[in-house]
Amino acid sequence: MRSVWRNVDEEENSEEEEMTVKIRFFARFRELLGTDIITDVGVGMMFTSLITTIVKKKPEGYAAIFDEDGAFREFVILMKNGKRVEIADAAKTPVEDGDELAVFPPVAGG
Amino acid sequence: MVLSQREQERYKRQIMSFGEEGQERLKKAHIFIAGAGGLGSPVSLYLAVAGVGTITIVDMDVVDQTNLNRQILHFDRDIGRKKTASAEEKLQEINQDITVNAIDVNIDESNAADLVGGADGIVDAMDNYPTRYLLNDVAIAKEIPLFHGGIRGFYGQATTIIPGTTPCLKCIFPKAPPVEVFPVIGVTPGLIGMVQATEVLKYLLGIGELLTGRLFIWDGMQAKADEIRVERNPKCEACGEMLMKKKTARKKK
Repeated sequence: MRSVWRNVDEEENSEEEEMTVKIRFFARFRELLGTDIITDVGVGMMFTSLITTIVKKKPEGYAAIFDEDGAFREFVILMKNGKRVEIADAAKTPVEDGDELAVFPPVAGG
Repeated sequence: MVLSQREQERYKRQIMSFGEEGQERLKKAHIFIAGAGGLGSPVSLYLAVAGVGTITIVDMDVVDQTNLNRQILHFDRDIGRKKTASAEEKLQEINQDITVNAIDVNIDESNAADLVGGADGIVDAMDNYPTRYLLNDVAIAKEIPLFHGGIRGFYGQATTIIPGTTPCLKCIFPKAPPVEVFPVIGVTPGLIGMVQATEVLKYLLGIGELLTGRLFIWDGMQAKADEIRVERNPKCEACGEMLMKKKTARKKK
């Protein structure tokens, strides 16, 4: 967990309802989707639904991360503020103001 | 294990960093390198010149022309040769004072533990997760470190796994990604291999801060390094049981 990740838009904390979250993709996901996506979310937004919303705009990126049923592919690693979020728990993991979400695949080459 | 006159001279500049006693530790050490490809090449070359006394390097492939953009152990003249033959020759040439065991075999469940033998640590220079998980199991069973590295294109990752203390590979990556022919440019395994080799040396010497509990992530395109804190999974199928045992008695090298 790095401080730079958390400092994003700290001064905006006072705004009601609007929350700012940062999403970071890594490796192949980054190539397809970019990274350091800063987005406003409403109260009650969950990890899975937020990533789905962001990623949907780019079909190739979506297909890399989600399967045909719209579930995270089993190898995808999810982190919230440097802590692992299990895929099974992501749908009910709320995102809060200042959160930093990371989504990445294991890199396999050698 | 005393250093010869030649060794004292050869390693003079690094003995300045960690002393003759450190150099003797390296000479005594035995490191197992799984793979003589993109990562295995720089890792083995640098561990060889650093004076790691015994290097076992395992690979089952033959040198192919498409390997040469990154697998710097192998030259044009080696195309068609076994990677192990090529590796042994180069490593022995670059440092005649070390022992090189190059083993031409596919690492599988039946032989992994025997191949690693009494090595002090395992370098993961593989290109697939199934074999990485095997090495992870062997590292856990033998309680020796696994120096993990992985690359794709301009991206790479590395971490140092100390069984019983840090998360294991399965804690961090419980499921393998799909198999693919991955893009790669030689500089990426060069860089990640150096992270791994540095970790090996620090571990053997007992100096510095190891890359433990942290996943190092390199984005060569952005020239950005990140690290992500990683934690043990108490229910990990590979190392979960070890957590219980280790709580009472922690053995440190």
